[in-house]
This record gives sequence, C-alpha cells and structure tokens, in this order.
Amino acid sequence: MFRTVLKQSAIIAKQQQKSLLFKTATTGINTGALRFYSAASTLSKDDITKRVIDVVKSFDKATAAKENITAQTTFHKDLGLDSLDTVELLVAVEEEFDIEIPDKVADELKSVGETINYISSNPEAN
Amino acid sequence: MSTIAALTKPQILNLYRQYIRTAKDFTSYNFREYFLRKARRDFRLYKDQIKTEEDALAKFNMIREELAILKRQSIISEMYTFDKLVVEPIKTPK
Amino acid sequence: MLRHTTTRLLNNISTRNAINRTTIAAALRVIPTRKSLATSATKSKAKHDEDIDDFKLVVHTSADSKPAASKKTAADASSPGSNALKYAYQERSGFGTRPIYLDVQATTPTDPRVLDQMLKFFTGLYGNPHSNTHSYGWETNNEIEKARENVAKVIGANPKEIIFTSGATESNNMALKGVARFYKKTKNHIITTRTEHKCVLEAARAMKNEGYDITFLNVNEQGLIDLKELEKAIRPETCLVSVMAVNNEIGVMQPIKEIGSICRKHKVFFHTDAAQAYGKIPLDVNEMNIDLMSVSSHKIYGPKGVGAIYVRRRPRVRLEPIISGGGQERGLRSGTLSPPLVCGFGEAARLVREEYEADSEHIKKLSKKLTDGLLSIEQTTLNGSPIHHFPGCVNISFAYVEGESLLMALRDIALSSGSACTSASLEPSYVLHALGKDDALAHSSIRFGIGRFTTEEEIDYVIKAIKERVEFLRELSPLWEMVKEGIDLNSIEWSGH
Repeated sequence: MFRTVLKQSAIIAKQQQKSLLFKTATTGINTGALRFYSAASTLSKDDITKRVIDVVKSFDKATAAKENITAQTTFHKDLGLDSLDTVELLVAVEEEFDIEIPDKVADELKSVGETINYISSNPEAN
Repeated sequence: MSTIAALTKPQILNLYRQYIRTAKDFTSYNFREYFLRKARRDFRLYKDQIKTEEDALAKFNMIREELAILKRQSIISEMYTFDKLVVEPIKTPK
Repeated sequence: MLRHTTTRLLNNISTRNAINRTTIAAALRVIPTRKSLATSATKSKAKHDEDIDDFKLVVHTSADSKPAASKKTAADASSPGSNALKYAYQERSGFGTRPIYLDVQATTPTDPRVLDQMLKFFTGLYGNPHSNTHSYGWETNNEIEKARENVAKVIGANPKEIIFTSGATESNNMALKGVARFYKKTKNHIITTRTEHKCVLEAARAMKNEGYDITFLNVNEQGLIDLKELEKAIRPETCLVSVMAVNNEIGVMQPIKEIGSICRKHKVFFHTDAAQAYGKIPLDVNEMNIDLMSVSSHKIYGPKGVGAIYVRRRPRVRLEPIISGGGQERGLRSGTLSPPLVCGFGEAARLVREEYEADSEHIKKLSKKLTDGLLSIEQTTLNGSPIHHFPGCVNISFAYVEGESLLMALRDIALSSGSACTSASLEPSYVLHALGKDDALAHSSIRFGIGRFTTEEEIDYVIKAIKERVEFLRELSPLWEMVKEGIDLNSIEWSGH
C-alpha cells in the first residue's frame, strides 16, 4: 500500500514533467484527480499499438506465429492462450504501461485491439 | 467466504492476477522467478486436478493466505535491496 | 622439439598445480588478491552510498566486489598480455553485477515465507517458551511445539523425539560424544566413514583422545561404503555407527535403509548426518531404523543458527548431554530456545514437505541440464555415483584446469570447490581423495549446488560461462597443449631440480 502511494506520486511527477501545459494549469490542484476526468492517454495510438505488440511477442507462452500480430489477433483463438495465460499477458502489459487494469475490465479483454483501446482510454498509461 | 459456495472463474483469475502482480514486486530475482513459477504450477494443478468444491475452496484460501504473506514480504524486499544479478536486465526508464 | 620447449616451460616447477597457477598469474598479472578486492569493494560502496534512492531505505552492496574488479581490468587492459580477465569479468552491459548463487550446499537463501513466520517473535511474541506461569510463555511455547511437529513430520518421527540444537554440527557432536560417553562402561568403539563432514570426523577424533576406538570405513570410487565391510567392522563393544545420508561435496546417497537394518540386527545405534538430505530425499526414521539423525535449518531455506537432532525413544537411545543447565529439551540440551529461529525452522520444514514434489522436479530438471551441458566439454567427469546421487549437488572435475583459478575466473558465479568449512585451505578435498582421485583431479573439481530458487536462465548462463572459461584456461596450459597433440602425459620424464 505504502508502495502504491509512492508509485502514484512518481507517476504524477512524471506526467508533470511531460506536459508543461498541465503543469502550469494545475499548480496547487490535485493533479491525479484532474487527470482522471480528462480525456485519453497522452500516448499516441501508434506508440501504444507497437508496445502492446512487442509485449505479446516477447510473451513466451504465445504459441502462434509471432510475426503476424495485429490489432485483430485474439488471445485465445490466435495465440493459443488459456485464461491463466491471458491474465499473465495482461499483467505484463500493465507493467509496460505502469498501470493496473481493473479486474472487471481485464476479464473482458480478449484481443490485442481491445487492449490497445483500453490503454488509449486510460490517462494514467505512460 | 463464509459458506461453501462455488467459486467463480473470475474469482480464481483475480486471485491469480494478484498473485502474479505481487510476485513481480519482489526485488530479488530468485524470489520473483520462484513465486511466478509456483503460481503457474499451482494454478494449473488447481485447474486440472481439483475436483470437489471443498478442495477447491480449501486450496483457494490457502493461496489467499500465502498471497497475504507475499504482499508483506515483497514490501520488505523493497526496503532492503541488493544489486541486480548478472542475468537480470537493468530496466532503463522510458 | 616440442618436448624441449615444454621442459623449458616447466623448469623449476615441480607440480602440475603449480604450473597452472603460476602460468596463469604471470599471463594475467591482474588476478586481484582477496585483499585488493576488499579494499576496492569499500570504494565502490562509498560510491553507491552517494546515490541512494529514496525508495530504498538500505542498500546493501558492499558484499559485491565485481564492479571494482572490472574497473581494475579495464585499467589493466592496455598492458600487453593481460586481456585474459576480460573473460572473467566480462560485463554484459545492461545487466546487473551480483553473482549467480550456486552454492546451496553451503547455505540456502531464507524463504520469504519463513521470514514472515519469524518476524512476529521480534515484535510481539517475546515470551520465554519455558516460562509456564503466564500467557507470554504459553503462546510462544505453543508456536515452538507446532514447529517441533513440523520438523518431526518430515522424517516420520514423533515430535517428542526432536531436540532443537544450534545446528547440525552441534547435533553431530551430541550424537557421537553423547552416546559414546553414556555407554562408556560397556562399549568403546565407533564406526564412521572417511567421507563424513568435518564435524563428524573431528568429533570422532576427539573421542579417540578420550580412549575410544574408531573405525573409518573406506568408500569405493563411487563414494559408497561396502555393507559387508560395515558388518565385519561391528564388534560387541561397538556403540555407534555414523554414516551420512547425502554427502555435502559430491551428493552421493549412502544406502541408509540397508545400513539401518544391519545396525538393528547387531543392536548397535545408528546415527546419520542428514544435513544435506533432510527434506530433499525421502527419509523415514522407522522404516530405515535410524536411531539418531542430525538436521540443519539453513540447508532447507530456514534461518541459520538452528538445527535439531532426532533421538529415538523406543528402543530408547540414551546420551550424555554436552550442555548442562535448566534441563530444557528433555534434559539433553539445556538453554532457552530461540523462538524465531526454531519457528523459522519449523516453517521451513513445513514448506519443504509441501513443496517436495515441485522442488524435486525442478532440481532434477535443472541438474540434468547442467550435468549434460558441462559433461559435453571434453575431459570432464562427474564425481561420485551417478545413480545413488542427489541431483541438487553436481561435482565435476575439469582435467587440466586448476579449480581455484577457475573459481577466480568465475567471479560472476558463486561456487565452491568443496566444503565451505575447508575452503580456507587450498588442500585438495579429502572426500575426492577417499574416492581415489589424484591430487590434480581433486584440485580441478567444482561443486554446483542447485536449489528451490535456482532458475533455468541461471543454469544456461553458467553452462555458457564455464565452457568459455575452461577453454580459455586450458589454452594457457602447456599440459593441455600436449594432450591435444596426443602426447601421453604419463610417458613424460619430468626434469626436476
């Protein structure tokens, strides 16, 4: 718990560095809260796509042809992952973007594309 | 968990997710890798071998207790850290 | 012509070992002595302290001497003839510097689950387990008794038969000295083997000074004792047979069950030093007719400083205590028990039982990979029986390479050439000697220990590193050159002075 607090403050610090605009706009305001209600992630969709695909490629349990991973690739049918493997893959994605995907959301993510969409909508991803 | 109700699949998957996240929090390479390996093994056995609901619940609670231990210990491991091993990549900040 | 050169090379050098050591030292000129490593290590620590991270309350880096050593190499690299250590200290950029731990026979890391059990004794449960007038004592005592039960279960014993000690060394001393002294009026003979751990051999030697007769059984080239020889050695005045279950240097498993039945038949007490075996191979004191057994906590991922001795109650084994006092532990070992250590040990014992299948499977798999990988290097041999063998201990001889120089060239892997207790001396291992290995081969042996926390990635790294460095060191050896050219080393007449 102690750690999560540290982690979050680190994330906030990082975000402040990244966006000068926000830094000036939010002086004295709870940055975290503000960012929750603001729109999508600051990352570009191309960047997210590339990084998600890289995580999937380096996931050693994915059996299928790793060269052809696209947004359409599904975890179960195309990659041969069972439900436990999928959980592990999504934790690796969480690590990559420094976020925690809520259980209810994670249970519904079935493909690379859905994962990319979720991350694009998460303002904390970085 | 007061009555012996059937465990739902999301419950088990969520426990697995928490276990994996916690294992990854260990700063010691060997502990991290061990608990990841253990999680993979235990949950596969869980899936393949446990037949009765009582057994499933007992095992579920056992893993939950162990998870509580790992949560405490992973925090301790972050307080007393050591250099990384020669097989461990040093993560560069993005 | 060739013979001429080599003789010249070998001039003034009388033994094979000396060749390797001096040639290498001369060629490298940069092998840091332990002392210089220590001083540079303090320097590197000072540097680390400056950039302490806020997240880390304490940073322990002093134990690691590698960054300092590699700096040294870089500085020396410009001088000619000294590029050798770039193999030893080669840094993979982007990776850490702490060595891989492959010395689990010396000790094992404490399992985090064990530490978790221990912490409460430092925070709230501080009562003396022997205080029976208040709840502080009772609650601690309850925990101690749970631990005793867990320790007993691993070997099929009754909890009442477990006596906590400070470790296997104390347990071994208790068994040898205690039993012999108790029965001294009628018996004066002890049987043990040549490959026992130092503490058993030394305890036996101490009893020799007290007037007891000791028989040291020989082992064959596989490291196993001869059961017929054992039976022949038993006399009417024999009080104790002490044979270790798993050897700490070569991992050989003695036929404990057979020894147990021979001892029972002749009504002689049977003690086994199971420090390396407890929790790792199946042991059952009743099925195997074991009367006394020494076990240690820190070999099974428990805390250091605690162990136990199993002492059979039926038929009762009597022994004279070494430590007298308040009569704790059935009067056999006085002194207040350490609840954190004892309960840490108890938890480690519980885990070793629970994880037995997973651990054995894992260790077996990695051991096979390591053994196959290393034996694929030419002129290497596995020491000890490959069949009666605990897979977590792999002892391999690399002919024409000197063990100590190989260890020096392997700073990135924590290994030992044998027992930690004897590594202060450069004497070749007495265990390998007992197997009939010559000095040179005994000197070129290295023990690899695989445990619960070893990973496959580490084993891959080790195989690759050993292959490279053995090849490199052999390139430096004139003997190896001769072997490669097909010269039979035994046919050479060495010129001496």
